[in-house]
Amino acid sequence: MRRGLHALAGGLLRGCYAVGSAVLLVVHLALFVPGLGLGLVVLLPWPIVLMRRFTDLVRRTCGGIPRPYRDRPGAPRREPDGRYRHDRRLYRSPFWPRQFDYLDWALGDPATWRDVGWLLTNPVVGGVLGFGPAALVAGGLALATGGGSPWWIPVGLVLAVAGGAVAPAAVRAHDAWTARMLAPRPGIGSLKAWLGKRFVTLTQLLALGGLTVVSAALAGLAFIAFSLFAIGIVGSVPEFATAARRYTGIRRRLAEQWSGVPIQTPYRPEPELPARRPDGLYAVGDSLYKTKGWTRFFQRLDWIWNDPATWRDLIWTFTDPIVGGALVAASVGAVLYGFVGMTIPALARLGRLQDPPGLAVLADRPVLALLAGLALVVVGTLLAPAALALHGRWTAVLLAPTAKAKLALRVEQLTESRADATSAQAAELRRIERDLHDGAQGRLVAVGLALGAVEALIETDPAAARRLVADARESTARALAELRDLVRGVHPPVLAERGLVEAVRALALDSPVPVTVSADLAGHPPEPIEAAVYFAVSESLVNTAKHAAASAATVQFGHSDGVLRAVVTDDGRGGADPADGSGLRGMRHRLSAFDGTVRVVSPAGGPTVVTLEVPCALSSRRTSTSSGKG
Amino acid sequence: MRVVLAEDLYLLREGLKQLLGAHGFEIVAAVDNGPDLLRALLDERPDVAVVDVRLPPTQTDEGLQAALAARRQVPGLPVLVLSQHVERLYARELLADGTGGVGYLLKDRVFNAEQFVDAVRRVAAGGTAMDPDVIAKLFARSDDTVGRLTPREREVLELMAEGRSNAAIGQRLFLSESAVGKHTASIFGKLGLAVSDDDNRRVLAVLAFLDGAR
Repeated sequence: MRRGLHALAGGLLRGCYAVGSAVLLVVHLALFVPGLGLGLVVLLPWPIVLMRRFTDLVRRTCGGIPRPYRDRPGAPRREPDGRYRHDRRLYRSPFWPRQFDYLDWALGDPATWRDVGWLLTNPVVGGVLGFGPAALVAGGLALATGGGSPWWIPVGLVLAVAGGAVAPAAVRAHDAWTARMLAPRPGIGSLKAWLGKRFVTLTQLLALGGLTVVSAALAGLAFIAFSLFAIGIVGSVPEFATAARRYTGIRRRLAEQWSGVPIQTPYRPEPELPARRPDGLYAVGDSLYKTKGWTRFFQRLDWIWNDPATWRDLIWTFTDPIVGGALVAASVGAVLYGFVGMTIPALARLGRLQDPPGLAVLADRPVLALLAGLALVVVGTLLAPAALALHGRWTAVLLAPTAKAKLALRVEQLTESRADATSAQAAELRRIERDLHDGAQGRLVAVGLALGAVEALIETDPAAARRLVADARESTARALAELRDLVRGVHPPVLAERGLVEAVRALALDSPVPVTVSADLAGHPPEPIEAAVYFAVSESLVNTAKHAAASAATVQFGHSDGVLRAVVTDDGRGGADPADGSGLRGMRHRLSAFDGTVRVVSPAGGPTVVTLEVPCALSSRRTSTSSGKG
Repeated sequence: MRVVLAEDLYLLREGLKQLLGAHGFEIVAAVDNGPDLLRALLDERPDVAVVDVRLPPTQTDEGLQAALAARRQVPGLPVLVLSQHVERLYARELLADGTGGVGYLLKDRVFNAEQFVDAVRRVAAGGTAMDPDVIAKLFARSDDTVGRLTPREREVLELMAEGRSNAAIGQRLFLSESAVGKHTASIFGKLGLAVSDDDNRRVLAVLAFLDGAR
């Protein structure tokens, strides 16, 4: 009961605001017309300030809505020559610049125009929502008391109770609506940017629509290729599939770039030429071939024919013109037809032009046609982003690898990286073995020999014995130095002691090019990954020092979305070719064992950016498990 | 002279005890892990400590960290750090407080007992003893700081960084002590080190050099 009364009172207050809006609106009109029309700009700011005071009051009392306005400009600044500037004019007194600044501030603020919109609509909306419930109660009571017939009494009471019951909801609705109109709205000022984005989206859709023609052409080509295949020219199918793959490759890229749907390439890798059998023939499936050329030809046919992705590509060339075309028609088609096919002819008809262009529908009702045309333009524009996203997802349906193909690709990739990793490891072990054999082991043998000789000579020739001991000491020192270098190459001690970032810092200190190391890591990657990344960064820095002629380099570590990232950048001459250079290949092999990747961007003239990425989680522990001695 | 020794390999610890004992040092504590080392350094306040970088329990740079922690509480506590490998990063951390009394040598240097003991004594007296390998790494790079020095001055700085006195440098380079003095003054000038107590400036010169050569 009390809540109802409270809400009724609130409703009355809001109704008063509606009346206030109406009054203010009249004042505005009275001041705006001479203000804008007659050039009396001095009259303009006043109603705006008045309006803001009023809307501030409404904001405060209708649920505490925050203020949306920009900050007021400061006083005009005096130029060195004593005048004051506004835009491209100088004034002797600060009066006019202040007025203009003030105007710019008030009229340039989108919140002002939302205020005006609110002022225009509030007399009706606020009036109904504010006074409505109270009017119901008052009318109901009046009916109940002075209705004449006793039948009016229950009807009036029901009306009054209903008025009390809807009052809180009406107040809530009023406040929600007011907040929508009067609260700050971020980003509403960028209508231009919004339109620009929609325009780009529509253009992209239009381009995709154009590409459906290519799809249709490919479908026709497929028909020809398979007809040729049927009459025995089997080479036509691989040729067609290759062309289709090139085209679908472009579409996959577009789907990623425009629709944000990344699509993996689904094809199986091309098999290598089989080894020659003992009888000098090559086997492809169950058939044997004599020459390399035919082997390759049939192998290729076999490879293309048995890859499900070939057939999915084929289905796609037939369906893309239909599904993709429909999506394009629903968005950019609607916009174009609404504008060219309806709006312009309707306008021409309304303007009573001679020989207006034809209107397919609503030919005798140009106003309705105009409205329908504009509605089509608006709806098509609004649908464009959804259509583009859907288009990408539709592309993925047939052009993405199936679950089975994905697994096959993954197995392929893992087999390769495992082979790489094991061969890299074997090479590494061989190197260590050779180093130990030629180095420390040999030196220790020499020390043993020398000590044996000392044992024999120490009584008879102490001078020679002393010399031998000195030699032995020298040999142990050398052996130690060699072991130190070896250990550095296997697992640098500073990496075990300090972790990846500090180890790279130590590396940076020793680099001939000044290197800055920065890191944003919340923990430590697993040790094997630390080592792999350390050596990869080391390799990049060595390359920088050797080839880049750089004056500075940076190493940045970061971890996001479960991926450890190290970016090595130098300001050198660039032009590094990722294809050659065994260092890079080694880096790739090392990282591929952990599903890591290396990306080298090195345009001629620089800068060179090497990005290493390894998926891994960070942990907070920092206790080494290695038992080596420092 | 009272020495605290930290080394976790038994053989090497005993060997160092024997070596230092034979040269008239008194071993007041010989520990094999980081926490014990820190406790011994703070309780015993030795004249010099000989510390292995890598110590249990973590087998990381526990020894270095303990030495640095002790020096934060007792500024200038002389510490000679031994390691299987030398890093400029560590050398800089050791010298960073600029108070001297710091040594950083490869373990191989104990082979030459005379030189090693000499280094321990120098550190105990508040000087420095940097491993020639650290210094060599610095000179392997060409940059502004080094570029402004004459070849002779570089030689002098190299030996000064190792921690040699002017007399010892003169002996090595066949110069008179006063000539070495002139060179050191010129080096201090080029590195922008203000006039102050000579020992301190020598440490600062090495530090400026370690930093500047970045």
